[in-house]
Parts: sequence; structure tokens; C-alpha cells
Amino acid sequence: MSDEEHHFESKADAGASKTYPQQAGTIRKNGYIVIKARPCKVVEVSTSKTGKHGHAKCHFVGIDIFTAKKLEDIVPSSHNCDVPHVNRTDYQLIDISEDGFVSLLTESGDTKDDLRLPTDDNLLKQIKDGFAEGKDLVVSVMSAMGEEQICALKDIGPK
Amino acid sequence: MQGFSDGITGADLAQLQSTMHTIEVACTSIQMQINPTAAEATILSLSQSPQRYKACQFILENSQMANARFQAAAAIQDAAIREWGFLSTEDRISLISFCLCFVMQRASSPEGYVQAKVSSVAAQLMKRGWLDFTAAEKEMFFYQVNQALLGAHGVDVQFIGVNFLESLVSEFSPSTSSAMGLPREFHEQCRTSLELNYLKTFYRWARDAALSVTNKIIESDAAIPEVKVCTAALRLMLQILNWEFRHDTNSMKAGINVFSAGVRRPECVLVQPGPAWCDVLISSGHVGWLLSLYAALRQKFCHEGYWLDCPIAVSARKLIVQFCSLTGTIFPSDNGKMLENHLLQLLSGILQWIEPPDAVSKAIEEGKSESEMHDGCRALLSIATVTTPFVFDQLLKAIRPFGTLTLLSTLMCEVVKVLMTNNTDEETWSWEARDILLDTWTILLVPLDGNGGDAFLPREGKQAAANLFAMIIESELKVASASVANDDGDSDYLQASISAMDGRLISYALIARGAIDVTIPLLTRLFSERFERLHQGRGIIDPTETLEELYSLLLITGHVLADEGDGETPLVPSAIQTHFVDIIEADKHPVVVLSGSIIRFAEQSMDPEVRATVFSPRLMEAVIWFLARWSHTYLMPFEEAANCHLSHDYEHQHQSIHSRKSLLSFFGEHNQGKIVLNIIVHISMMTLMSYPGEKDLQGLTCHHLLHTLVRRKNICYQLVSLDSWHDLANAFTNEKSLFLLSSANQRSLAQTLVLSASGLRNSEASNQYVQGLMVHMTTYLVELSNKKDLKSVAQQPDIIMSVSCLLERLRGAASAAGPRTQRAIYEIGISIMNPVLLLLEVYKHESAVIYLLLKFIVEWVDGQISYLEAQETASVIDFCMRLLQLYSSHNIGKISISLSSTLISEAKTEKYKDLRALLQLLSSLCSKDLVDFSSDSDEVAGTNIAQVVFFGLHIVTPLISLELLKYPKLCHDYFFLLSHILEVYPETLPQLNSEAFAHILGTLDFGLHHQDLEVVNMCLGALKALASYHYRETCAGKTGLGSHAAGQGNLPEGIFSQFLRSLLQLLLFEDYSPDLVSAAADALLPLILCEQELYQRLGNELIERQANSTLKSRLANALHSLTSSNHLSSTLDRVNYQRFRKNLNSFLMEVRGFLRTM
Repeated sequence: MSDEEHHFESKADAGASKTYPQQAGTIRKNGYIVIKARPCKVVEVSTSKTGKHGHAKCHFVGIDIFTAKKLEDIVPSSHNCDVPHVNRTDYQLIDISEDGFVSLLTESGDTKDDLRLPTDDNLLKQIKDGFAEGKDLVVSVMSAMGEEQICALKDIGPK
Repeated sequence: MQGFSDGITGADLAQLQSTMHTIEVACTSIQMQINPTAAEATILSLSQSPQRYKACQFILENSQMANARFQAAAAIQDAAIREWGFLSTEDRISLISFCLCFVMQRASSPEGYVQAKVSSVAAQLMKRGWLDFTAAEKEMFFYQVNQALLGAHGVDVQFIGVNFLESLVSEFSPSTSSAMGLPREFHEQCRTSLELNYLKTFYRWARDAALSVTNKIIESDAAIPEVKVCTAALRLMLQILNWEFRHDTNSMKAGINVFSAGVRRPECVLVQPGPAWCDVLISSGHVGWLLSLYAALRQKFCHEGYWLDCPIAVSARKLIVQFCSLTGTIFPSDNGKMLENHLLQLLSGILQWIEPPDAVSKAIEEGKSESEMHDGCRALLSIATVTTPFVFDQLLKAIRPFGTLTLLSTLMCEVVKVLMTNNTDEETWSWEARDILLDTWTILLVPLDGNGGDAFLPREGKQAAANLFAMIIESELKVASASVANDDGDSDYLQASISAMDGRLISYALIARGAIDVTIPLLTRLFSERFERLHQGRGIIDPTETLEELYSLLLITGHVLADEGDGETPLVPSAIQTHFVDIIEADKHPVVVLSGSIIRFAEQSMDPEVRATVFSPRLMEAVIWFLARWSHTYLMPFEEAANCHLSHDYEHQHQSIHSRKSLLSFFGEHNQGKIVLNIIVHISMMTLMSYPGEKDLQGLTCHHLLHTLVRRKNICYQLVSLDSWHDLANAFTNEKSLFLLSSANQRSLAQTLVLSASGLRNSEASNQYVQGLMVHMTTYLVELSNKKDLKSVAQQPDIIMSVSCLLERLRGAASAAGPRTQRAIYEIGISIMNPVLLLLEVYKHESAVIYLLLKFIVEWVDGQISYLEAQETASVIDFCMRLLQLYSSHNIGKISISLSSTLISEAKTEKYKDLRALLQLLSSLCSKDLVDFSSDSDEVAGTNIAQVVFFGLHIVTPLISLELLKYPKLCHDYFFLLSHILEVYPETLPQLNSEAFAHILGTLDFGLHHQDLEVVNMCLGALKALASYHYRETCAGKTGLGSHAAGQGNLPEGIFSQFLRSLLQLLLFEDYSPDLVSAAADALLPLILCEQELYQRLGNELIERQANSTLKSRLANALHSLTSSNHLSSTLDRVNYQRFRKNLNSFLMEVRGFLRTM
């Protein structure tokens, strides 16, 4: 077993960890970052200097991946930032209950029943309509820092 | 139009009056903002109404409302230009003379804009008919104008006459002419005719008009009406001198400076009217009159109605400046005597505006207008443009004890002094003056002969340049140290400050090189003073001011010592090569001393303690920038460069060759070169590792410095033998800190390291080196993809980061693939094919990673495809198809939703970038058919690229929505690929299923109506290819596009019928650029041949729709000759295409005018 192998093992154990430290200078646009304890997607990074002959600092504009609120932060670029562990899992949709919860089929064959329908009207309509028409739907569930939300939908039914 | 008022019956009059009323009401409601669209439509309908000319003339003559008269004039213009073809000669002439009489008769009208409009209408109509009117007809108009200019009818009419000529000249000048829907040749013919036959006459008339009022103006103390005439006449003369004269072809300096790239070309117009103008402009004492007129005006500035910026003064000054640019064959070949006299005369007039410099600048600071001084500077610039530095300098010596260069230097020193004392960010008069004067120096000093030899200054001029440079440096240093105090945070970046200063820095460098033996030691002294100061003050005084001064000095010195290569290897500036002849020992050479001191200073940054106190990221940026620029020119220069010589000076040649050689070889491979290179590599490695998070600095190191080094082969030889380079390569594979570089830097560093392999002995060694460099990364990716829990591991941020980083590096390496390293890069790609597909699966939601994956593959395929053997090609293509399918299965039918509109638009952009990469991938696959270096040339085992690409297109097109085609770059790539495929492999198109086929044609139709000219062109090309393919096949008895062409199911019409309709619709009724007509003709011809029946039917419909019988027959004739004139046949060969192009052009000219409006 090589060193790298071992490296993965240890990280896999730490899979429970919600965030990872990463140098501010390496966080790119379209990556993730924690700003004010919220997981965000970075939509803008700019660098500037502290004073003429000072060091670089990064200015991040992030969008909360769950609430879509805009958040900003400034960090010296050699310092570390927290990067959230964002996971996306696909489930097949089995049922929509009347109280607004969905029933999902996991890969192992169990069901997952603790997720609400999304609040977004468009996606909500697509899910409800598609389900009513009897299509086979797969939903992507995004989870980070202990929160979960349905974020995308895909029709895998016959054309 | 005489006879206009008679013959009007009562009913007509009532009709005209009601039209006038309607228009007046519409004009008022536009002004009052009441229902403006309806009012606008009413006004527009005027030019289309049945009695348009009558009504317009009636309004012009009778309306009390100026706006209505203005609109009536516009309507005449609109209607007449459109219908010019049908108007009889009498009608044409009467329209023009109506306009002319109208303005002359109402010369004193207070509504100047109506007069100007009518006058410009007359001018435009005159041009429209210019080639048809006989000389006598033109003479008639011009007689009237000349009478007006002579002043026979009073000052107002005189002014109107000048005004009309102004409109006429601007209408005939190509850059200001208005569009008339006619081919370019028409405008060209008009231009030439006016230039040869009338322009000089107009000039003379204007001059005489001005002369006729000069005495009155000079004698009177107050402003009088004649001033207006004189101003207009001066303006007309200026306009004529601004004319782009073509007749005089052997011009002097024009076109010579094409090769002096990088130098800002000040916009300075050369006036070259040719020998015929000598009598008017030069020998008649015209300039003397002009100068004395302005001198007289200067006396009057204290009087009422005159001031420094009053219109007549401004026009006079502009004309004087314009005279300074006079050059070419207007001066006889008398060794420039007449030119010199001419310029001297002007210069002595201008001197009063700028001399003495200190008094002038003081007066301006106290509130005097700066415009006269600026014009003086501009005049110097113009004079510099038409002379050599030597002649320029000599001019003033005739009347002053010093030369013009000295004057220029003192003037500019004065300006720089003012700049230094009130240093603000606002653009002050001194800014502008400095820029004009810098341009003057640039013009004088930029090499003229195109082979890099700098212009030589006379001795006194050198002194002037040296003084000026010292002053400039003083001011720049002062600005630098002052800027520390008013620090507004994140303003200056190195690249930004270089490009902002670039024009200036290049001029500074030229001035410094003008007196190189003084300025290099000066720079050395300034550097050493500052090094000393830093050294002594360490830890005691705040060094920021000194750092900022060093920053400026480094930028300036970089420009003085070396030129920007712009992709070429710049030579040592010839001023440096040819001076310093008496230097025998290389290490005493001033340039060596200066370079050495800067390099030694840079080396100190290796010491962590010094680095922390002195080498701020900003200063380090300047150091890296300087090292890159310097090493490009001086580090291990080519041997040939050292041996070639440019000197004109034979006496010194021997000595100067010696001195030049010693300079060039000092930093060569066999001398200090290797040591310096080692230092540079160490410094680069240090900036990458010891300045964490300083992206700009690291970017500069990667993209600028290291790239510069590996671009030269002889440096690569040395690099690969250096231990420090191996340390860098080792650090690249193992050092954690180098994984923290930003993505672009990561990529660039990988590219650089792979490129340096060209310095190795043979391709075996090169491949081995590349493999050693990259093997860790491929192993990592392979092992990662073999993990059982890949799905959950891959989502961890740290893994995402490593994967992204490795993909960036692989992409950089792939882009550096050359013949020697191709094998190794190929192996790398092959070894990670499966991992790439697995990663594409697990990261399907992680768009950033997906993009990197695709870009790597695109880059890799692009670099490899032309080298691959048949079997390898097959496997690469197979891989690409799997990749495309996988990508498409993830993305078709996916709906992502987010609450944030920013994130939605981001997601769209990401998708666009992905698709663009995929299209590029398909394009590179296409190129295999064109460029193929593989050994097996027989195509027996070869894959059919066409099929592959079509299959790829099949997968990709459903993802490309019309929405996405709004991104210009994607649109461009897509249509490029589409037209390429259709042109090269039309035979594979029928194999597509009907859905994909319909989609492709749908996008083609979309492209035809696109804004972008090139896109439409490509679509027309694709259409031509398709239709001509089908036509040829069917002629040969084959099916061609078969069922697609015939139309089926829900599409009753075949595709060619549809396109024929839409193309005709486009050509006849829509807006498009005239440049498209040829391409459209090429597409239309095969379409017509494919669908002859439909074409006949469409043509008949078009004719039927025409109500007016004259127009009907006209259209019928035009349609007939479109397909029958010029011996057009029904074959698709080159000759036939050309004939059809001609036919279509004349067809459109004939019918578009009325088809579009009626």
C-alpha cells in the first residue's frame, strides 16, 4: 500500500468532519467556502493589497447554498478558510406525502423519509407534475454542515 | 423649383395646407412628449406620401415652425435618395436648386439648424447625381455658390455659401459621407473626381472669401458680422487640408514606421496634396497672411468679442497647426529648402505662443487659457513628423542662438516642473501638454529606417535629452514617494501600472537612449543611492518611500535597457550597441554595471530576514518583471545577434564591434550567463514558495519570467543542466506549497517544466524527463479512481482540491506537447482514460471539476491527434465518444434550480463553457483529416472521422439550445464546426436521424438571421455546400439528401424550399451588411437550381403583389435578368458562381429600394 492509499483512508475516516481548512489564496470562483458559519458557493474572488507594500488579501462574495443569501468576507490570502464538505446524492423519488415530505429510495434499497419538498416554486411544480404523470424521477439532494435540501431533478423515464 | 407656386389649384392648396398642419401638430407633440410614436410615424409617412416633394417644399416655404421645416427637409432627402433612379433629370436638378435657393434666400434666418440641414440635403443630392450630371449642370450650381462666396449678396449669403461647401466636402470625404445604398466604387469615384477637379477651386474660393473680410476685421475693434464668414472660411480650409489626398502617392514618412511595433503612434495627420497645390498654399504668401491675421487677432484679445478661445482664433490656430503637417511632393525637390523656409515661417509665428516657457506656464497657472500653448505644442509635434531630428533642430538656429530640440527640452522641463508641484490625479493642462510633447520626442527618436537603428541626435540635442531625462526621473521619483502617503488601498497593480504608464515609459526610454552615455550612469547612481539608504536604514526608518522609488526606477530602467519582444527576440537597443566604444573591459561597461547592481540587489531577497524587511510583494513584482525583460535581451543572446552589426559609422566600427561584443558575451553561456541564470531560477523558486497567496507575484514569475526563459532553446540547454532547475522540478512534484499555487499558475508551471525538456539531448531523454515529472500525478488519479468508496471520498473538499490541481497540471503539460515529448504525454493521457471517465461520473454535480476534466481532454487531444497511428486514433476517438455520451447523459433533461439568480446564471455560464470545450474537442478531431503526421498513410484501417464527428455532433446538439447560442463565442465555435462539417462531409448528413437533422437545420436558420457577420457567412457557406451537394448528386441520378430534401411528415416542404424562401426574404426585405451579398449569392444559386419550380412561383408572387405597373415591369425584368443575363448556365462552377454574384448585385440595386419601402 502506498502512502497515498493511507492518506485516503485517514481522510475517509474523517468523513464526519463538516469542514476542511484551505488556504484562502487557493479558493476559486465556483468553489465553496464557509462565511459566517454558512456554507456558500463562491461567485466572486478578488485580491488586493493591504497598503502599497503589504500582503495580498482575498475578498470573497459567496451565496449561501441553502438560503441564497449573499455573504462577503475578506481574508489574508495566506491564511486558512473553512471549506464545507458539500455532498450530493441522487435518490429515486417514490412518494410525496400530503404533509410536504418526500419518500426517497436509497442505493441500498432503504427509504429516506425525512426530507421536505423544496420551497422553490418552479422545482416544486416540476416534481409534483412529473410525479403525477407517473414519470421516473431522480432527485439530487445536496447536504452540507448538517443541512439537506433537494436541489435538482432529472427525468430518467422512457423518452 | 420655379413654377411651383403657379398651377396650384385651390383644392391642391387646401390639401397641402392640411398636410403642413398635420406635420406641425406631430412636431409639437414630439416636443411635448405626447404620444411620440404616433407622431414619429406621421412624420415618417411624409416621405412616402403621394405628393411628397410638393408637400415638403410647401412646408419649407410656408411653415412658421422651424421643426416642421427641418422634418420636411429630411423627408426630401429620404425620398429623393430612395427614388433617385426614377426621377427625371429635370426633377433632380430642380430639387437641388430649390434647396440651394431656399438657403440663399433665407440666409439671415435665425434657425441655423434648418439652414444647415437643407444645405446638407443639397450637398447629398448633388453627390448622388454627381456621376450623371453634365459639367454644365454642375457649373450652374457652382456659379451660384461662387457668387455667394464673393460676397455679392452680403455677409449672410457669403456665410451660407461657405457652409454649403463644407457640407459638400464632408459628403464627399469617405469617412464622413452618408450611406446611399450604393457600392463603395461610387463613393470612390466621387471622391477622386472632387479631389482632382474641384477641391483646389473650393480652397481658393474660401481663401478669397476670408481675404475679402480680413481688412475689416483687423481694422475694427469690436466683433463684426464678417468674423462669422472668416471663421467659416478658415474652417473650410482646414477641412480641405484634412482631406485624405490620394493623388500624391510618393509620400515621405507615411508607411515607413509600420515595423516600429510597440511605440505609441501619435495620431498626426500628414497633409500631402501634391505639387498642384504649391501655388495656392505655398508660393502665394498664403501662410504669411494667415500668421499676420492671427497676430492681429492676438492684439484684440483684450477687446470685447475676442478672446483666446473665440471661434475665429481657434480656427486660425488649427489651420496654422495643420500647415505644419504639410509635406510630400507639394515641395519641389530642392533639398528641402522650401520646406525648411515654410516651417521656419510657421515656427517664428508659433514661438510667441510658447516662448519663454517659464512665463507661459506661469501665465497659465494664473488663469490664462492653455489652448494656445497646447496648439503650440501640437505644431511642434506636426513639424517633428515631417522632418528629421537634425532638420528639426536646425530650424530655430536661424533666429535663436539655440536649436529647436533645446526649446523642446526647456518647454517640457517646465511642464514637468508644473506637474511635479501640483501633483493631482486630475487631468490638468500640464498633463495634456506633457503627452503632446512626449509624442513629439517619440516621433523624433523612433527609428526611421525600419532596421532598428535609432535616430541620432545632434550634440546639442543630446544635452537637451539628457537634461530632460534627469528632470523626468526626478519628477517620477517624487510622484512615487508622494504616492505612498496618499495610499488609496487597492489601486495599483504592476500590470495595470505598466500598461497605464507604458506609452510614457516607452517615450522615456527613447529620450534616455538619445543620451545613453549620460543616462545609464545616472540610473546606476540613483539605484545605488537607494540601495544604500535601505541598507543603512534597515529596521530604523520606514522604507516604504524608498521601495516605491525603486519600483518606479525598475520599470523605467527595464524600458531603457530592453525592448518588449512581442513574440520576437528583441535585440539590444542599437543606441546601447553603438555607444560606449571606449569601454575595453566588459565588467566596466556601464550597462553591465547597472544590470549587475540590480541582479545583486535581487539576489538579496533570498535571505529571509532581508526579504521580510525589504522585499515587499510589490517590489518583488517589479524585480521579477525586470528580470524577465532584461533576460530576454541580455541573457545568453544568440551568437549571430552578437556578430551582426548595424553601425553606419565606419571610423568607430572596429572599436564599437569590440565593445558591443564584450557587452553581449558578458552574460553569454561561457561567461557569467550560467551564474545569472542560476540566480534567476533560485529567485523564481523562492517567490513561488515563500510568498504564499501572492497570486500576482507568482503569476508574473510563472507566466512572464519562467516562460521567457524556456522560450529560448539555448537557455533550455543550460536550464536542464542546472541543479536548481531540478530542485524546482522536484518541488513541483513533491512540495506541498506548490500545490497551493492558483490554477492558472499551476498550469503554466507544468507547461514551463515540460517545455524545458527541449533542452535535453534526444527525445528519449525528453520523454523520460516528462514521465518522471508527471508519474506521481497519474498514479494518484489511478489510485483514487480505484477506491471502493470513491463516491464519498471524492466529495471531500481536500480531495476536490488535489484533483483540480492535478488536472490543471496535466492540462498545462498536455498543452506543451511537442514532437519530442509527444510520446510521454500520450502515455500519460492513455493511462488515465478510465480514471477520467470515473471522475466524470462522480463529479457530475461539481461543475468546476468537470470543466477542468474537459479542458484537459481538449488540450490533450488537440496536441496528440495529428501524431497518432490508426489504432491509437481509434482508441482515442472511442474514448472521446464515451466521454461525450457520459457527459450528455448527465446533462440532458436535468433541471437545477436555485433560489439565487446569480447562481442560476453562473450555472448557465458553466454549461456554456463545457459545451464550448466539447465543440473544440470535435473540431480537433476534425483536424485529423487535414493534418496527419502518422506513419501509415493508407486509410485502410483508418477511422472515418466524418462519421465520428457527426456522431459527436449528434450527442452534443441536443444540449445546445438557441438560448445558449446567444453566447457569442459558443455560437462562433458551433457554426464554425457546423459549416466545416457540412462543407467537407455533406455525404454523411443524410445518415443523421430526422430529429438531429431538424435540430441542425433549425440552428442553421437561426444563424442566418444572426447579428454577427461572420456567423451568417459561415451559415451561408454551409447552405451552399449542402445545396450544391444535393444538386450535383441528383443531377448524377442519385438521391442526394433524399427524403430530407423532399419533405416528409409534418414538414410538407423540403429543407431547400424552406431555405430558399427565408434567404429570399432576407435578401429582399431585411437589413444586412452589403458584404454578405457575395456569400448569399453563392448559397442562392444552388438553392434556385435545386428548387426551380418554387423559385418561379415565388418570383411570380412577388410580381403579382406589386400594384404599380412601372414597378411591376421593372421587377419582372430584374427577376428575369437575375437568372438569364451574363450567360448564366445551370452548372456549379467557379465562373458561373461569379456571374451569379454580379447578377445578384445588380438585381438588388435595382429592386431593393422600392421593395423595401412600398
